Amino acid sequence: MLVFFWQYVPSVEDTVLGIVVDTKPDNFLVDIKGPNLAFLPVLSFEGGTRRNIPKFEIGTLIYARVVKANSIMNPELSCMDASGKAAEFGQLKSGYTFETSTGLARMLLSSPTCPLLEALGKKLSFEIAVGLNGRVWVNAPSPSNVIVVSSAIKESESYSRLQQKSMVEKLLAKLS
Amino acid sequence: NEMMDPRWRPTVNEREFIEQALQSDLRVDGRRPFDFRKLKIAFGREDGSAEVELGETRVMGYVTAQLVQPYKDRPNEGTLAIFTEFSPMADPAFEPGRPGEAAIELGRVIDRGLRESRAVDMESLCVVAGKHVWSVRVDLHVLDNEGNLIDAANIAALAALSTFRRPECTVGGDDGQQVTVHDSEVRDPLPLTIHHLPIAVTFAYFGDGNIMVIDPTYKEEAVMGGRMTATINSNGDVCAIQKAGGEGVMSSVIMQCLRIASVKAADITSKIKREACGH
Repeated sequence: MLVFFWQYVPSVEDTVLGIVVDTKPDNFLVDIKGPNLAFLPVLSFEGGTRRNIPKFEIGTLIYARVVKANSIMNPELSCMDASGKAAEFGQLKSGYTFETSTGLARMLLSSPTCPLLEALGKKLSFEIAVGLNGRVWVNAPSPSNVIVVSSAIKESESYSRLQQKSMVEKLLAKLS
Repeated sequence: NEMMDPRWRPTVNEREFIEQALQSDLRVDGRRPFDFRKLKIAFGREDGSAEVELGETRVMGYVTAQLVQPYKDRPNEGTLAIFTEFSPMADPAFEPGRPGEAAIELGRVIDRGLRESRAVDMESLCVVAGKHVWSVRVDLHVLDNEGNLIDAANIAALAALSTFRRPECTVGGDDGQQVTVHDSEVRDPLPLTIHHLPIAVTFAYFGDGNIMVIDPTYKEEAVMGGRMTATINSNGDVCAIQKAGGEGVMSSVIMQCLRIASVKAADITSKIKREACGH
């Protein structure tokens, strides 16, 4: 399993995709592919109080921000931006998720938009969330779009920026 | 004590998506429900060593043999035994040392497929009845677990058995029981007599057991409701069936699986024979 080797080192202000593995009174325990589980305080949500704690079952996918990370303690996450707003953070529903290397994740988040996502976006409609920890979420109205986009991204682990565009064009041509 | 539990579990999203996509006959890796992944068989320099890649799943098989005393109740037959080893590198869930439930089941399914169907001729392994027979050992090493270890490991066992060569022996001496084992430089070593190849074909069930796919990936295995392995040869003889957990499945569905398995078994048999001959 390749994914065993794609570990992530948490860094403050990174946006990550985590998976809830357990719930404690004060924190959700979240797997972010790092050496330790991360804590997501149950109140770290916009307007969060003890009475409206989200109900996250095990296996819930979360988009969050790293707010504390050092070599001693477990990293801490938040589902609020710096001004306390939810922004795009929180649970991601539906769609499909898979792991990538942290390098590919950084490439997908690079600006201007990488050739891969640009080529895919021209032909297919989908939404995507990328965690710097090497986890990606893809959603689309049609499952076949989700599969095409996910496959193209996974495939591009070994392609350079130059090769990406032609790889995607070949892939899309095969489908139509 | 906040260390990660190394067993991988699927997200709610993956679980729902995999099932939902299957409603439209779509699999996440682009395959159709009854497609096997790409199968590669490679042979090592030594006779009886093979490496199989089924998609990203990798298993190696090694065959060795030694002369032993036969079992008292089968004085004219050699023996065959399967050993499995799961490398922790193959899957973080594998613990070194102790074989888990999956390792034991894997060994048993492959052993049963070979043994019950008498695929490998045991009588031709007898050198001196009651005294000396060949004991054949198949070691299966799981190097990478990307799902469906049973089918991949079974092919590795069959490929390794097909290219294995044992030393030729002659029996002589005053009592007619002195065995001389000839060096391979002196006399060509001999292949095993293999009557047929029992091919394992695994199905994974989803939904209410009405959706099934062949050759499940690691993620599909984590999400599936149940699994069934049919071991069948290219003559259509069913050598063994293993249904592991999950909901009951209608007999009509089982029959459909056996028909599909039979076609796949013929394809895989040709591939093994072709690769072994070319070696």
